[in-house]
Amino acid sequence: MERVVITGVGLVTALGPDQATTWRRLLAGETGIRPLSLFPTEGYRARTAAQVEDGSLKLPPVAPQTLRHASRASRFALAAASEALAQAGLNPTPSVPWAVVFGGGAAGLFEAEPFVARRLRLGPKVRGVAEFVEVPQDAPTDRVAAAWGLCGERITVTTACSSSTIAIGLGAELIRQGRAEVVLAGGTDALCQLTFAGFNSLRAVDPERARPFDRRRQGLSIGEGAAVVVLEQARGAARRGARPLAEVLGLGVTNDAYHMTQPEPSGASWARTVRAALEDARVDPQDVGYINAHGTATEQNDPAECAAYQQVFGQRLTHIPISSVKGAVGHCLCAAGGIEAAITVLALVHQILPPTVGLEELDEACPIDAIPGQPRSKAVEVALSSSFAFGGNSAVLVLGRAS
Amino acid sequence: MRVGIHRAGVVCAAGSGLSALRQALADPLFAPTRTLPRPDAPPLPAATCPEGEGKGVLPPLVARRLDRASRLLAVAARQALAVEDPLPWPPEAVGVAMGTWTAGTSPLLDILQAVFTHGPEQAPPMHFPNSVANAPASQLGILHRLAGPNLTFFEKQAGGLRAVVEAWRILRAGKAQAMVVGGVDEAQWLNAEAFHRLRALARDQRPGFTLGEGAVAMLLAADAPVALLGAGGAGSPCPSHLYPPTPTGLVAACRRALDEAGLGPEEVELVVSLANGNPHLAQLEASALSELFPLHRPAILGSLSQRLGEGAFASALRLLVAAAMLQEPWPVTWPVASPLQALGFPPLAPSDRPRTALVTAVAGGGSCLAAVLGRVAP
Repeated sequence: MERVVITGVGLVTALGPDQATTWRRLLAGETGIRPLSLFPTEGYRARTAAQVEDGSLKLPPVAPQTLRHASRASRFALAAASEALAQAGLNPTPSVPWAVVFGGGAAGLFEAEPFVARRLRLGPKVRGVAEFVEVPQDAPTDRVAAAWGLCGERITVTTACSSSTIAIGLGAELIRQGRAEVVLAGGTDALCQLTFAGFNSLRAVDPERARPFDRRRQGLSIGEGAAVVVLEQARGAARRGARPLAEVLGLGVTNDAYHMTQPEPSGASWARTVRAALEDARVDPQDVGYINAHGTATEQNDPAECAAYQQVFGQRLTHIPISSVKGAVGHCLCAAGGIEAAITVLALVHQILPPTVGLEELDEACPIDAIPGQPRSKAVEVALSSSFAFGGNSAVLVLGRAS
Repeated sequence: MRVGIHRAGVVCAAGSGLSALRQALADPLFAPTRTLPRPDAPPLPAATCPEGEGKGVLPPLVARRLDRASRLLAVAARQALAVEDPLPWPPEAVGVAMGTWTAGTSPLLDILQAVFTHGPEQAPPMHFPNSVANAPASQLGILHRLAGPNLTFFEKQAGGLRAVVEAWRILRAGKAQAMVVGGVDEAQWLNAEAFHRLRALARDQRPGFTLGEGAVAMLLAADAPVALLGAGGAGSPCPSHLYPPTPTGLVAACRRALDEAGLGPEEVELVVSLANGNPHLAQLEASALSELFPLHRPAILGSLSQRLGEGAFASALRLLVAAAMLQEPWPVTWPVASPLQALGFPPLAPSDRPRTALVTAVAGGGSCLAAVLGRVAP
């Protein structure tokens, strides 16, 4: 079977506009969750979010028309793709048949919402056309392909919060199936009033900031950002002398067929996803050295997730460090899985495990080694990045240290 | 492994069920002239499904918790799963893959309307879970306890075909034993107004497409009478709201699909046209097909998306009709788009029973996809 490696990582988060800043601040235990300033939040129960600083984005040097009408979500994706390509040492020529596989999120909804408000209030005479161009969830996928003239397949998978986890796994499959030699995979999502109001209406948001696995947790903090990884055939990367950062070993995708918003509480269904991923990767559970958890900090998620790991890893669970980065970068929804997979790659590269920012007192219902406080040095060969989504769509990615 | 379509269900502007669709295709005058009301403005034309909501089909308590797109898919899926219920596979081995362009718009608009009109904290919590585009596929998984991979693909007009292709690959890789695949869309006034403002809709004398809605559900598994033989994709970079300027991507996608199927162009007996009323797309398709088929001109099945409306579901619908026609003749009376006629591509004769078919899709933004179907010898 064709081995697939990651040779570049690009990150845009509330912690920083690039990989290095995000990683440094994450290891320092900092959080990007703060009062939201993108739109008015008076009257909401929770008024914080992990918001990206627009001015700090490092956009690629592309023709100005490439960025015309580009939404924030697309700009995040372009910045992350540019960083990933640079790290991979790739400069695609136009018409190269590389693929783009992204998780689709709110895309340009943030830009369209003011029009919707005006249209509802003032009727059909209000002006507005360009606001719609980037509303489709695959607009950032198209935008990235167009920026570099990529002519390979384009796939946008939308499974809510597991979207970009699946996108990376599908991207690796494209290479294994011979459908592409290089794939830009990941996802992007931008804050908007729909998701902010929606999660507030579900009472799923912590009024202060997310505290995954903590006894006093009250919910998630919404975030935004993007992650793009460059996937290549291992042979191709070696041929051109590229340094692999990690290997994509497998993907597990299942549905718990239980509830639109709540995970199946016993964890049995999620355990099935982990087992499917390990089976796909042909990895023994005892070889797993780190798990980047979904860890949303909601009342239901964290115990169900820990129960799933308990069922798969048994007694060994307490020896597997598990952390959630959502207390630092927020829950970036459709970009979350991609961001977390990218951070897992960095953990494998540096052999340092990021802490669970926000965790102070471990919940008894979450009997895991959740890496509180400080990052931890540990030799890890295999790591999991785990995601769970609205509609019961769970996905687990198995990543290996580059050999 | 010959993976293909076992059973199917459909809800579209032609009605509910395969027989309604077949009747519509046989009617040369069929043209749903329905409209979509919108607030404070004249309605816009749309190919809607007035009887597709599931009254008398879905239990009222189930129907109440689903949004419109999820209801449409639930109705179509009941047709596809009826005979196979209970399915001969364990629930963990049966997945769902759907394509969509517009699912979730109504709940999304309900939430925004509540927030903008009545203020923060007024968003209806019941609507939020259905505002995600994967709601129809996920609700279907919950309804039928389908616990295999559950994926939704958003690729505008090509979403339905993408879902079929990716599910086919999942099955061939042995990661599921059966998949319910297809596409689903709802026609919603905000979407229609957006396309109207972009001058993409057909209206008065202006050519363009008609926004459609509907759901297609097909049960994909091994040992089917009609199999997917190959698929291919490619991209032609262009702005997300436009069709690509050249047919390069579509030609590349078709060639990859034919290569994977192991067929030469002369072995293709039917092409299902993707024409939807947009003149540029019709010309693009004609250029691509004349390049692909320089000598042999396969029969063309035309105008499905023009009469039944455009959407991600429409690309799945084209595949469904092709699969049906490989099994038995369907008398189709709808015309072929003029650029293809001018190039000498013949319409499918009523008695024709082709053995192979090429189904294509082009999405705004330039993603192109093709799939090749073949009748399996008993």
